[in-house]
Amino acid sequence: MSTKGDDRVELLQGTLDLLILQTLLPGPTHGHAIMKAISQTSDDVLRVEQGSLYPALHRLLKRGWIEFDHGTSENNRRAKYYRLTPAGRKQLAVETSKWEKLARAITRVLRPA
Amino acid sequence: MTGRRRSLYGLDEDIRDHIERETQDNIDRGMTPADARDAALLAFGNVTLAMEDTRAVWVPVWLDQLLQDARYGLRMLRRNPIFSAVVILTLAVGIGLTTAVFSVVNAVLVRPLSYPHAERLFWLATYDERAKGGEEVVVSPEFAVWRDQATSFERLAGFFIDSEPIDTGGAVVQARMAGVTEDFWDLSGARFALGGPPRRGEEGVVLSHAFFERWFHGDAAVVGRPVVRQGTQTIVTGVLQPRFAVQLPPPLWFTRLQPAAIDFYAATVVRRAGPRALGRVFNVVGLAKPGVSMARIREEIDAIRDRETKAHGPFYGPPRLRVEPYADKLIGSARRPLLILLAAVVLVLLIACANIANLLMARGSARQREIAIRTAVGAGRGRVLRQFLVESAILAAAGGAAGLLFARTAIAVALGLIPNAVPRLAETSIDGRVLAFTVAATVLTALLFGFAPAIVLWKASVYDLLKDSARTVSPSGGGLRVRQALVAIELAISVVLLVGAGLMVRSFWRITSYPPGFTPDRVLTLRVQFSGLQYREQTARRAHLDELLRRAQSAPGVEAAGLNSDGDASMLLTVEGAPDLPREQRPTAILSAASGGYAKAIGLRVVRGRWLEDAEPLPVFVVNETLARRVFGAEDPVGRRICCLPWVRDGRPATVVGVVADLRYASLDTGSVSELFVDYGDAGLFAMTLAVRTTGDPAAAAPAIRTLLSSVDRTQPLFDVKPLDVTLADSIAPRRFNLVLFGTFAASALLLAVIGIYGVIAYAVAQRTHEIGVRMALGAQRRQVVRMVVGQGMAMALTGVLAGMAAALALTRVLTSLLYEVTPTDPATFAAVTFLFAAVALAACGGPALKAARVDPIVALRCE
Repeated sequence: MSTKGDDRVELLQGTLDLLILQTLLPGPTHGHAIMKAISQTSDDVLRVEQGSLYPALHRLLKRGWIEFDHGTSENNRRAKYYRLTPAGRKQLAVETSKWEKLARAITRVLRPA
Repeated sequence: MTGRRRSLYGLDEDIRDHIERETQDNIDRGMTPADARDAALLAFGNVTLAMEDTRAVWVPVWLDQLLQDARYGLRMLRRNPIFSAVVILTLAVGIGLTTAVFSVVNAVLVRPLSYPHAERLFWLATYDERAKGGEEVVVSPEFAVWRDQATSFERLAGFFIDSEPIDTGGAVVQARMAGVTEDFWDLSGARFALGGPPRRGEEGVVLSHAFFERWFHGDAAVVGRPVVRQGTQTIVTGVLQPRFAVQLPPPLWFTRLQPAAIDFYAATVVRRAGPRALGRVFNVVGLAKPGVSMARIREEIDAIRDRETKAHGPFYGPPRLRVEPYADKLIGSARRPLLILLAAVVLVLLIACANIANLLMARGSARQREIAIRTAVGAGRGRVLRQFLVESAILAAAGGAAGLLFARTAIAVALGLIPNAVPRLAETSIDGRVLAFTVAATVLTALLFGFAPAIVLWKASVYDLLKDSARTVSPSGGGLRVRQALVAIELAISVVLLVGAGLMVRSFWRITSYPPGFTPDRVLTLRVQFSGLQYREQTARRAHLDELLRRAQSAPGVEAAGLNSDGDASMLLTVEGAPDLPREQRPTAILSAASGGYAKAIGLRVVRGRWLEDAEPLPVFVVNETLARRVFGAEDPVGRRICCLPWVRDGRPATVVGVVADLRYASLDTGSVSELFVDYGDAGLFAMTLAVRTTGDPAAAAPAIRTLLSSVDRTQPLFDVKPLDVTLADSIAPRRFNLVLFGTFAASALLLAVIGIYGVIAYAVAQRTHEIGVRMALGAQRRQVVRMVVGQGMAMALTGVLAGMAAALALTRVLTSLLYEVTPTDPATFAAVTFLFAAVALAACGGPALKAARVDPIVALRCE
């Protein structure tokens, strides 16, 4: 489907939640836009399995990190607009620092000084 | 939960929106709309799976699947309403009957007695194994000695149950009373709505709440007021709480009373103690001190009796001592029949299960294609099995609920019909324990019949089923064999139940077969019991009875009237001219005082000599056939002289003037008893039964006769006014109870077994239509086809019946105590049951066989 298919990387287990939270930081948006934002921001490197997006969104809903409103989009279609809750904001900070720690550690192991 | 609903609501819309946006993006990138949509769908992947995964976030997968299975199951059951109704009804009967019987077992055997510390209560009694019924009693002077000397007990209470008139102010009522000693109140945990127990050492009366409401109109002022009982005044000291009911053993036989609720309790003070003192007869119950064993109690009481007898001579009471847990005494002989009934009803439930398993298997075969398709599209075997179990569970739940309703009705009906057949029967109710039992029974049955169809399908190959689309698997497969085995087992169990019921019916016939001339349905009986100072003299009692007789005889619609004291004393006999026997070997007989009209009134047949006449100039006896046979053997007793102790008329012997047929006129299931009748002018006459032969229905004549006779003296009420056949039926209430229940179970079992046979044969014929068509095309006669089908069915039936007969031969011995003059291996019963089953099995095979014979080979073959 995409010419750059070979460059794409499967998401690591659990990172989709983090990326969704980060994507929602600027403001509420709907499912498709979240997916697009992740692809675009990562220069199409990160590939989101579209089928796993909705289970992920509902996992976050269940934990109370995001919530949703029914909104009407540009072309007059009803859609759910997801946004961060205060708890979600906190969780994003926690997850981000965790991820950074992990990334630094992995980098150190792979490229010893 | 609400969060889940809100979030999942509109999920499909969300995903559709997502795909549309992707499509739009693709179009923007230059794809054609069709390609754009395909690409979007491809990119999204399996939409259903995504939705399921999303749902799984909120709903555990197993629950979700279970709900799916349940919804699917309900749809399947609704699509086959007749099938579902048959299964649910079968279950309702099975579970309902089982629940009803268990609730009786629960009330009678499981639930503790109402007494506080029931586990420490012991029954203490003396008895004489040679006396009639081996009655267990304690004479009051002996009771007083135990009470004063024994250290094993916290409390020791005596009581006796009787019937006596009490003046309620408005009317003199014949009431059921319990005379109780001081310790009874504490020991029974009596709770009072008004007042309290009489003070220690004082007399007084405590009313039951029902009696207080009925006869004192709930007037609280009755407490402290004097009432007249037995012609003497006493004080009402209290009224018991409405729900307080204490379990007591049935009244002693000589009171001629059926078990019934107690109307009032009368404090009875026992002062005279020790051997050689006279007193009344008690039942005794003791509350042992904690830790005191039954053996210790027996030891202590034995020691006390020894000591007292050595010092003062024997007590005027039976010689032997019995100690047993009070609960055992109360329930006693009722335990075994109840457990037998419970076992029987569980067998019925098993048959019901087998039948339902059968039905489900038949339907399972019909559903093989559906299952194959589900398996082909990815349902695992576990999932299919679970689907079956869920469907079974739904059926079982519906059946269990219906069964509970059925049980409630059945209990109400049974209690209404035979309330006192079993001690504590009236306490039967559906409580938590019964509910738990029903739920457990329901779950077990669901598992039992739920696995059956799954087993059949387990082996079936998906490939074969789908390939061979026109037909289902061959009928000779494992399914049919399993089903035939199930039906054979059903039949075997039914045979056992039916043989049991048959033996009980035979016993019942024996008991209720009346000799010629005895027509209890034409006789009204009324009882009178003298009380009060004015009847202290024999002449006054005699005069009253004579007046009753005179009025009864001249009443319209009355053919004859007579009096009988209903055998209230056991006598030692000495035959003049016979060798002198030691006391223990002398014959005994029950003595009754009767009037000249009695034989005619009741239909007592005179075999030899004559019946009594009123005012015999010399004392004479009439004996019954049993006495004549036992005492005189082949000789003619008429003209012989008998001396009868302790009944004495100057201690002189009296002449036998006649022999009458044996007649069980007071209680039906007693064996043959030696009986002796004397002119009622020669006896004590404290309680008499007036028998009136009516031209029409005695129940209809009862009110008029009662009114006519009551006016003789309203202080001496006539009671137990009922047709003799009703009295006799009451005397075998436990037998009727057992028979009705067992008979119901056996009939249900038979019905279910017939349905089972029919179902299997009809199914086999349906499966073999094609084969039968081929056979007929090749020249088989219709007769041969019928023989083939019937042969197959009867082989199955006979296997079951034979196995059942063998089991019945081994098992019916447990019924011995419920039978009457019938052996547990009664050949007639076994033969009748075998014949019945053969006929029934043949009839059940007949329908399908005829259907098989009508198969048109052309149609059958064209089906292919």
